[in-house]
Amino acid sequence: MAKGIKDKVAIIGMGCSRFGERWDCGPEELILEAFKEALADAGIAREEIEMAWLGLFYQEQSAGKSALPLALSLRLPNIPVTRVENMCATGTEALRGAVYAVAAGACDIALAVGVEKLKDTGYAGLPERTKGTFDDLWLPNATAPGAFAQLASAYAAKHKIPMEDLKRAMAHVSVKSHDNGVLNPKAHLRKRITEEEALKASTVAYPLGLLDCCGVSDGAACAIVTTVEKAREMGFTDVVTVKAMQLAPSNGYEMSNTGWDGSYLLTTRVAAQKAYQEAGITNPREEISMMEVHDCFSVTELVVMEDLGVSPEGGASKDILDGVFDRDGKVPCQVDGGLKCFGHPIGATGLRMAYEMYLQLLGRAGDRQISNPTIGLTHNLGGHPFRNVASVSLFGLHAT
Amino acid sequence: MSFGILSFGAYVPTFRITRQAIAQAISWASPGAKSQKGERSFANWDEDSITLAVEAARNCLSGLPRSVEQVQLASTTLPFADRSNSGVVADALRLAGTVSTEDLAGSRRAATSALVRMSRFTQGAPSTLLLAADTRETRPGSAQEMLYGHAAAALLLGEGEPVALIRGAASVHEDMVDQYRANDTDYDYSLEERWIREEGYNKIVPRAVQAAADAAGIALGEVHRFIIPTSASIAKGLAKILKVGEDRLVDPLAGQVGDCGAAHSLLMLSLALETAVPGETLMVVGFGQGADALVIETTPHLAALQASRGPARYIAAKRVVENYTMFLSLRERIEFDFGMRAERDNRTSQSAFYRRRQDITGMVGGRCSACNTLQYPRSQVCVKCGEMDTQQPESLSDLHGRVKSYTEDWLAFTPLPPYIYGNVEFPDGANCMLEFTDFAPGAVQVGSEVRMVFRIKDFDTRRNFRRYFWKPAPLLAQ
Repeated sequence: MAKGIKDKVAIIGMGCSRFGERWDCGPEELILEAFKEALADAGIAREEIEMAWLGLFYQEQSAGKSALPLALSLRLPNIPVTRVENMCATGTEALRGAVYAVAAGACDIALAVGVEKLKDTGYAGLPERTKGTFDDLWLPNATAPGAFAQLASAYAAKHKIPMEDLKRAMAHVSVKSHDNGVLNPKAHLRKRITEEEALKASTVAYPLGLLDCCGVSDGAACAIVTTVEKAREMGFTDVVTVKAMQLAPSNGYEMSNTGWDGSYLLTTRVAAQKAYQEAGITNPREEISMMEVHDCFSVTELVVMEDLGVSPEGGASKDILDGVFDRDGKVPCQVDGGLKCFGHPIGATGLRMAYEMYLQLLGRAGDRQISNPTIGLTHNLGGHPFRNVASVSLFGLHAT
Repeated sequence: MSFGILSFGAYVPTFRITRQAIAQAISWASPGAKSQKGERSFANWDEDSITLAVEAARNCLSGLPRSVEQVQLASTTLPFADRSNSGVVADALRLAGTVSTEDLAGSRRAATSALVRMSRFTQGAPSTLLLAADTRETRPGSAQEMLYGHAAAALLLGEGEPVALIRGAASVHEDMVDQYRANDTDYDYSLEERWIREEGYNKIVPRAVQAAADAAGIALGEVHRFIIPTSASIAKGLAKILKVGEDRLVDPLAGQVGDCGAAHSLLMLSLALETAVPGETLMVVGFGQGADALVIETTPHLAALQASRGPARYIAAKRVVENYTMFLSLRERIEFDFGMRAERDNRTSQSAFYRRRQDITGMVGGRCSACNTLQYPRSQVCVKCGEMDTQQPESLSDLHGRVKSYTEDWLAFTPLPPYIYGNVEFPDGANCMLEFTDFAPGAVQVGSEVRMVFRIKDFDTRRNFRRYFWKPAPLLAQ
């Protein structure tokens, strides 16, 4: 019986670039900005890294295919580099590859990097791709906001919540993340907004307005990992370890069968249960100190609170309006501003979330530090609610 | 068993523009246009003569076995010059692979001429679906812009229990260029109305009509209704010449639809059949470089089909727009700027399409023989029970669905913003995320019931291709 990944791997260094419209940077510079910070943090030499994983989503429009964007950017000494892609879970996938490699004993020290350069595409929002497969013959040419907006229409209908009330809870989600983003010097959007502004913003895809949508940003983040034993040898005492990393892709059920009602994220529920089991969590609302979830849109964060088992079914709106997920609430969510305000360079996002958990757990989060966190959760959702890849990871402190 | 018309059908697109709206927009240049009354129909951006014909055919075939042996599609606006247009229709209707398909073009009489040819059969006639559709574009500010409409009509012909019999038919050919359209142009060029009336309708139509009556062995006075696809004033003049009462003229639908070109004679025929009683004699006329005329007599079998067929329901189910630039843009008469998302390359993988052509054109999904779950698209592994190789082909195109979730997306590109799409549930477990059509903003709700219609899915403007698929649309009033 496999025992899982809990407390086998320590994160000994992390870095994250400033996110935003980085007209000054290409993907190489973004990678370097994050990597230099992580390398200094770990206190190791570049040559000590034995294997690397690169997370990158938009290949042609961003940095290019294969291992090369990372190997070339860092002039790595011909070590194995693997490029991974799993939509918005891409950054987490890069970390999972590195974590599993050191846990397996394939190497002692591994690097995970996620990067995305979106602002060279010319698009506001995510770029269109060339069409040409079977799905393109019949699926709508949906945008991300349009696909996620449907969560709101289905959720409101299922729980018989008037759309105005649901919109108010969604507005609170955005207001809270903007408040947090102000405190984060690396965040893309650092401006407070009011609930009224969120409600009055122009409609992007009904019922989502502009301020229900996350930023489209350039950025990179990275992690250097090793085994707990090696970390101890290297002189680390209290380290952040990986408690769980779980991934659940759709198999087509949501999209093809009436069994899914469109109001929740099936894969997130599966990944969360498996992650809780791997980490030994039985009561997530009580045991999790903080969360970075995939708030690509305000309504996504809302339904995810229920999918993660933190809010009861149909109870997320109330929890949100009660401030449960505010920075001073019971389970702070998106303390760094989230996708909403830190930004969403797709390949980097999963690692950006881990970076915040890492800083908070080590007490290094500056103005936005929360008191004595012990377990942090990160969640990604790649794709659209009807067909996606979900990841749930847990991080915590561990005495070596 | 005798040969005749076994069923009929029609389709008029949802969109109308009032002639007042057009007149107001062009009054700076044509102040005289203001007296025009009524509305004209026009196809939505995702409709063309193929999709109009499919809808008329579905109306005609509803409740009947689809054992059609031959499909003929008459139109002066076929989207493809080389790719069987009627073949696309046949696949959308899921007709057998042995069906004979034929495109009839080059004349506003294409459909009535085909009907004259079919009238020569007494026995051994193949079961034939005769379709007529036209979506003629009109130059902004032109007289045709006011006069034309878009519609389709269908007749099922063959041996069985006919609702109407063809008693006699005749054709006259005269190369009178009253109007024409060259292959490389979008628009009709029309000559002087008085000349067309005096030398055209008034002299050519009576010759064909009299010949058809003679062939049927009847006097013109015995004809109950005349179907003459022209303006009310020209039709009235013809009634005088033919010495029949004006009350015998079938409404040309000028006020509600407009002149629908190659489809218009059959559209008016289906309008007449919708309300005709058994034993009525109809004279159907086609006009253009000559004339066709057919004497048609209804039978007692007609009553059983009348409730669900014909154009009346489609004429009633209208969405009237007063916005002239919206009308122009939907018909691509102006190049509206829809932003960068409209630049997307829409190349079609023809090999992927060919593999899944039934799935796409016929919306054929699969029903699992192990757990009875219906699913779209079909696959080798059941999405519900996981059994392999159990799915039997089954189309979802005639099912009604229920909206499970939806959005109105103002970011995505569509020629008619907002882009409305969502998850739609079908009976027996099937669910699909689909692009909606014909809904006005605010009209879709979670729980709305929808029907499926065959439409253009995407245009590939770079390679002049268009793809078709099925979309949820509002239900028709019963």
